[in-house]
Amino acid sequence: MSGADSLSAIPVTVLTGFLGSGKTTVLNRLLRRPSLAGAAVIINEFGAIGLDHLLIEASEEQFTLLDNGCVCCTVRGDLVATLKELDRRSRAGEVPDLTHVVIETTGLADPAPILHTLMAEPELAGRYFVAGVVTTVDAVNGWSTLDRHAEATKQVAVADRLLVTKTDLVSADALSELQRRLAALAPAARQSLAHDGEADFDIMDNRHLGDPQGMAAWLDRPAAEHACGADCAHDHGHDHTHDHVHHGIQSYSFVIDEPIEWAAFARWLDYVSVLKGEDLLRLKGLVHVTDQPERPLVLHGVQHVFHPPVRLDAWPSADRRTRLVFIVRDIARETIARTLTKFAAIDAASIRAPTRAAA
Amino acid sequence: MPERSADLVLTNGRIYTLDRKRPWASSVAVKGGRIVAVGEADAVAGLTGPETRIVDLQGAMLMPGIVDVHAHLMMGGQAELFELRFPPTASFETLIARVAEAAAKVPESSWIIGGQWGSDLLPKLNTLEALAALDKASQGRPVMLRDDTYHNRWINSQALRLAGVSAATPDPEKGSIGRDPATGAPTGMMIESAAGIVESTIAKSGHYTEEMDRAAMAQSIATLNSYGVTAFLDAAAMQPILAALKGLDDRGELTAWSVSAMPAVEPSFMFGIAGDELIALRDQYRSAHARPDFVKVFLDGVPGARTAAFHEPYTSDPILGCCFRGSTIVTVPDLIRWVGKCEKLGLGVKIHCAGDAAVSQALDAIDVVRSFNGPTKLVHHIAHASYIAPDDITRFAELGVAADLSPFLWYPTSFLEGHKQTMGEARALRFWPNKDLLEAGALLAGGSDWPVMPNPDPWDGIEGLVTRRNPSGAFKGAALWPEQALDVASALEIFTINSARAIGLADTVGSIEIGKSADFIKLDRNVLDIQADEIADTKVLTTWFEGRVVYERS
Repeated sequence: MSGADSLSAIPVTVLTGFLGSGKTTVLNRLLRRPSLAGAAVIINEFGAIGLDHLLIEASEEQFTLLDNGCVCCTVRGDLVATLKELDRRSRAGEVPDLTHVVIETTGLADPAPILHTLMAEPELAGRYFVAGVVTTVDAVNGWSTLDRHAEATKQVAVADRLLVTKTDLVSADALSELQRRLAALAPAARQSLAHDGEADFDIMDNRHLGDPQGMAAWLDRPAAEHACGADCAHDHGHDHTHDHVHHGIQSYSFVIDEPIEWAAFARWLDYVSVLKGEDLLRLKGLVHVTDQPERPLVLHGVQHVFHPPVRLDAWPSADRRTRLVFIVRDIARETIARTLTKFAAIDAASIRAPTRAAA
Repeated sequence: MPERSADLVLTNGRIYTLDRKRPWASSVAVKGGRIVAVGEADAVAGLTGPETRIVDLQGAMLMPGIVDVHAHLMMGGQAELFELRFPPTASFETLIARVAEAAAKVPESSWIIGGQWGSDLLPKLNTLEALAALDKASQGRPVMLRDDTYHNRWINSQALRLAGVSAATPDPEKGSIGRDPATGAPTGMMIESAAGIVESTIAKSGHYTEEMDRAAMAQSIATLNSYGVTAFLDAAAMQPILAALKGLDDRGELTAWSVSAMPAVEPSFMFGIAGDELIALRDQYRSAHARPDFVKVFLDGVPGARTAAFHEPYTSDPILGCCFRGSTIVTVPDLIRWVGKCEKLGLGVKIHCAGDAAVSQALDAIDVVRSFNGPTKLVHHIAHASYIAPDDITRFAELGVAADLSPFLWYPTSFLEGHKQTMGEARALRFWPNKDLLEAGALLAGGSDWPVMPNPDPWDGIEGLVTRRNPSGAFKGAALWPEQALDVASALEIFTINSARAIGLADTVGSIEIGKSADFIKLDRNVLDIQADEIADTKVLTTWFEGRVVYERS
């Protein structure tokens, strides 16, 4: 699979966010925008993937064409069947050409199974790709929701973009405090604000978060922008964030100076997904492999499911070090570093935290 | 103070406690099945009341009950109670006569199950003439007779019908159905996996009832008790075994602590559900003395059949060629998956590894799991830790893996003679590096692998650990790698406290200490005071389980 192939596939944005976080309001406003013509919005009522393909009946009423050309449908059962049906209708000309799919989950949903479906379901993998996870966080209640609900913390941790809603209802200080906390929890995510229900970004722009070129470009940015370095030290608490508020969820990054033997690294990936898959919420990587040093590999994993690695035609910049970003639950950074050394044949001295490398 | 009175006080003994802090005592007191005092006479003096049973040991040696880290219980009990027994030396005529006698005694539709015929009879039994003789003797009743290797079965025409086997039935994978060369008609000889066809037919027929399963397990446990065993790990516990152990415990009839290892895949010699499906049922079969706390993984076969996985090749063989090393039947990633899954479920893994390459792979897999998961309280076992590459010796202690020493083959045996043929003499003799393991800090745990050993007598194993010579007198003058001999005290630890640690019961059994289960054995001699070559003659006079006498030598 090359980068070009994946671009011809349809980007899928997963929109999630805890109950009452303003997700539906934001979505309704987004749906009015002309830019969403050609997009399909799937409202996944149960937030889970149905098992019984026979239960879904893709009736006409299920699919609604909005005035701006956006297709809207409600899924009660099988997301796979719905996505296949959408693709069929689009190809048959029954609905406009599909340019983008947005899946809205229920507030309590764990987005990971939806990502697994998109990444691993053979009938979908070639036609759709994960453009990114957008998670809404309520500026008023977000802080206490994160304290109380591990599910909300996980939704934030796996996000590519965090959209803080109801910003008009809190003080600037409270907002920036929440944003700092979100940055500690999800350094891999960009943050946006919604004011009075109106997001300050276009959901269509997010298509490049998840394609391999976009991910590579993002990983190539200076480390400090997306990684919480040693000064952040959020695994043993800083400022307002402590272990119990994180529900064991943390993020860390590595840069690796030496080229990587892919066979050994793939073996390590196999081990980590078998033994720690449940707690490996997200892994993104840009990897310098020994056999084709000019063409880096882009890695993307959600729990135990990994996209087949995509080989880029070239590096996004002159920086050719391997970059790995982990979002995990209860996996010590040291465990990852030690096992990379032991099983992926990487010299311990070449594994570093990005801030130290930058210093 | 009657509430302080013990139920049982044993005094005037030579009590070897297996507690390193207090190796010897003369008295022990028991209340509610637990040890409440250990020491000299004064330690128990205040604990006797009118209801206290006092036993004068008269200077006899008392020690904790034996813990067998590897046994297969159901089969022995079934054979003793419900099956036709004849020795492997029995002639064809005797075998037919015994079936005829049995047929006269059982109802017409009832199975006649028996064993074991000698493997040397196989060519004679594998004919239509022999089948006709068996059919005549059985008078229409279905018959299944097992061989001495437990791998093959000979069945009659009625059994073939019930199992749905005819000339048109294809051979199963890894097995074959004996056929008449002229007509292709089945002879009733069911080789290797074909044995499973008839065994599962019998299992599904309801021939073995739950009552029979319980009785068979109780019979096996009574046999263990008679040799002084009061705790064991059943090393391939299928559903009927789990059910029987729980059923016995619910009735107060389980007279040993039992830990069960549920097979990850259906073993070649037992039939029924296994793996995830069986593991999911574990809590349904859990009770105070019945602990389904392990999973069994078979990583390779046995050296004598060239099915064990070695680093170096077997001797040249006309079929396998010059360089065959055997192979493992589970890949390292799959083994990692199993160990990882079991650790999440709080289960230990007992891994059958007969060859040194299998041992290396099991250690490699556990090394990966430890590297990701960090330390654990679970103890995984390498079963039959017998052929071990020198570099692997220290890894047992480093990784916290127990070396399951079973069966008792650490002295010259016919098994060893078979290994010499397949591996060459020099390599075959590098068998059971027990002393090297002990000095490297490994947890060594003793087991019988009964019925691979004809009986679960630990004193045979303990003598062998010390002498490295065959206690029966066979192979006179020969010792197997005598540098690996252990002292008696270490051998006793291996069959008590060490096995208790390995099966996760160290807080409950394995030594005579306050708070532990009152599981004792009284011996007819002090095994620490006698010549090493007399240890196997040791007889257990009395066995107590939770303070109750469960065996008394008559």
